[in-house]
Amino acid sequence: MTTETTNPATDSDQKAKEAYFTASQGQLIWARFKKQRSAMIAAWVLIGLLISGIFASFLSPYDPTVAGRDKDYLNGAPQLPQFCDGNGCSLRPFIHPVERERSLATNFRWVTKVNEDKRVYFTFMPKGWDYKLFGLIPMDRHLFGVEEGYVHLFGTDATGKDIYSRTLHAIWTSMQVGTIGVVIAFVLALIIGGISGYYGGWIDSFIQMITDAVRTVPAIPLFMAIAAFIPQEWSAETRFFIISMILGLIGWPTLARRVRTHLLTERNQEYVLAAQLCGASPGHVIRRHLLPSFTSYIIVDLVISFPYMVLSETALSFIGLGLKDPVNSLGVMLQSVTSADVLLNYQWYFIPVIFFIALVMAFVFVGDGLRDAADPYSDSHK
Amino acid sequence: MLGFMRFVATRAAMALVTLVIVSLVVFSLMELVPGDCAERYLAFKNTQGSGISVADIEAERVRLGLDRPFLERWASWLVNAFRGDFGDSCILRLNISQLLGDKFWLSLSICLASLLLAYAIALPVGIIAAASHNTVLNNVLRFVSYLGLAMPNFLLALIIMLISTVYFGDTLTGLFSDHYRDAPWSWGKFVDMLSHAWLPVFILGWSATAFALQTVRALMSDEIGKLYVTAASARGVHGRKLLWRYPARHALGPIINSLGFDLNRIFNELPIVALILTLTEAGSLLIEALARSNDQQLAGAIIFMLTASIVTLNFATDVLLAVLDPRVRKSIIR
Repeated sequence: MTTETTNPATDSDQKAKEAYFTASQGQLIWARFKKQRSAMIAAWVLIGLLISGIFASFLSPYDPTVAGRDKDYLNGAPQLPQFCDGNGCSLRPFIHPVERERSLATNFRWVTKVNEDKRVYFTFMPKGWDYKLFGLIPMDRHLFGVEEGYVHLFGTDATGKDIYSRTLHAIWTSMQVGTIGVVIAFVLALIIGGISGYYGGWIDSFIQMITDAVRTVPAIPLFMAIAAFIPQEWSAETRFFIISMILGLIGWPTLARRVRTHLLTERNQEYVLAAQLCGASPGHVIRRHLLPSFTSYIIVDLVISFPYMVLSETALSFIGLGLKDPVNSLGVMLQSVTSADVLLNYQWYFIPVIFFIALVMAFVFVGDGLRDAADPYSDSHK
Repeated sequence: MLGFMRFVATRAAMALVTLVIVSLVVFSLMELVPGDCAERYLAFKNTQGSGISVADIEAERVRLGLDRPFLERWASWLVNAFRGDFGDSCILRLNISQLLGDKFWLSLSICLASLLLAYAIALPVGIIAAASHNTVLNNVLRFVSYLGLAMPNFLLALIIMLISTVYFGDTLTGLFSDHYRDAPWSWGKFVDMLSHAWLPVFILGWSATAFALQTVRALMSDEIGKLYVTAASARGVHGRKLLWRYPARHALGPIINSLGFDLNRIFNELPIVALILTLTEAGSLLIEALARSNDQQLAGAIIFMLTASIVTLNFATDVLLAVLDPRVRKSIIR
């Protein structure tokens, strides 16, 4: 026996086995999750987007609201940082400034022209508009800017607002809306699904009847109906919270159904009976025994339902019933793109779309990977 | 047979109960909107120059029956709704059934057509994907169907419009050419509609296809691993015959069951796509009713009718499933 343990191969085998059997639920899920390449890539994309959302104010050179507008560069094309031009190369990136001109030659209309001979260099960590990091620490430093004038990586919109800055803030808004919506939907789903699944019998049938009825109503038309009742004069921030709440209030049935199904299968297990025999109250049994038994499933459900909240918000804002201007979201930014003018001439309005597809895809892939990872039998399927 | 009839009757009753609950939700929402018809009518009179008083509003309420208790009004709304009469819209001052009329049926057929398209693509592709062990094909399909989920339909519509305006100089909007817009129904108008309808059908079917593809693939790959398939292939059944006659028939049940929710998903996209493509159908009518004027009667009617068609489809698929699947049939008749 002792001679065998000295064999390095069996030794490490033994260790791996031991690690496997003593690993917590979280460690097992993480180990399985790591094996999925697409989910890992999606997770990194998600983390990147999350960070750029959190540090949106720091990363964006200009205020995303009207306050930060560049009134000399309306509907301006994206300006890419360059290292080389006709006059040679430089290590420090620069852009060619644009100049506005109005003269006899331009028929007395304002015409913008790129000045190829002049260079405006990028500066790093310059002072800019004031903001609060994490909503707490007042700061005025930004990641980058230019020596003079403005730089617009993704161009500007009709009022001269920097699309790059707006996109970063919009990502953050979407995440907030999604989080608030998911949390509200989740709490409702836990209460309703919990009661339904725990008590069963006629209470379950009754609640399921209502849940099913609510589920058959198409959600977006219903969102629209409720969102239309928000008075127009409410401030953008109030609208933001109300819209997130509406998303949550309508999103619960699917989650509630899943919670109920989990509960129905778990509540007949012996450990629940044991707890009940010990005199535990229903609330205690639900909270301390039943919920932990499928926490991982619930987390997966939350991640999966997140992108639908974001998409619903985008759709609502897009048709003008959701968020309103000072608050940035993809829907708000896309409100004007249906016009032929934008479609034909200002295609950079669509740049934020790429980020949002990436955001939603990342969530879907991570959710999918988590679902596979959280399923203890997923290994045996393959 | 008796058992089957009883099953159909139970399902019909359940569908009715669902509709009643939905109507309660919709009607309560309509009631929650600030301002009622009486105020709207009189506010309109006010703009015409005649002064109004609180007593006038009260009198108008009595005339319209708005002073009756909530439940009574709900019941009468519900009964009328089942007869296809949703009353008048207070803002447009038109009968809602007249206003919706063809438009609703038109949008319903567009939605059903995109549902059909979704499954026409998803069934063969999903089965092939589940049967093949080609990882590249599977990964591409997975990516495409996730893209279908992630990309909102209105973005797809916008991108198609962008491409068509830039490269073809045609905006592809509307459901009819100018020539046929107000013409009565004829073969020419129908053909004209088909030549325009493919775009909304395609866009609405896009995400439905993605979902359907996922469902079909998952169900099929579950079934393909089962022993009866191995047994069948051991007996010498192979190729397409094996797939269609064994696992595909088993996977059919859950797919039929999910049709109702697919229609629900398509309805979700309808208003926005309709808005972008400026189709004058129920979806954009809904947006107009809500966004422009807070027309609660019209909005309520449209939501109710959309839900009613989903409930009807659910009922139909339940019955269809009982007819098609001997396991379900046996369990009913027993």
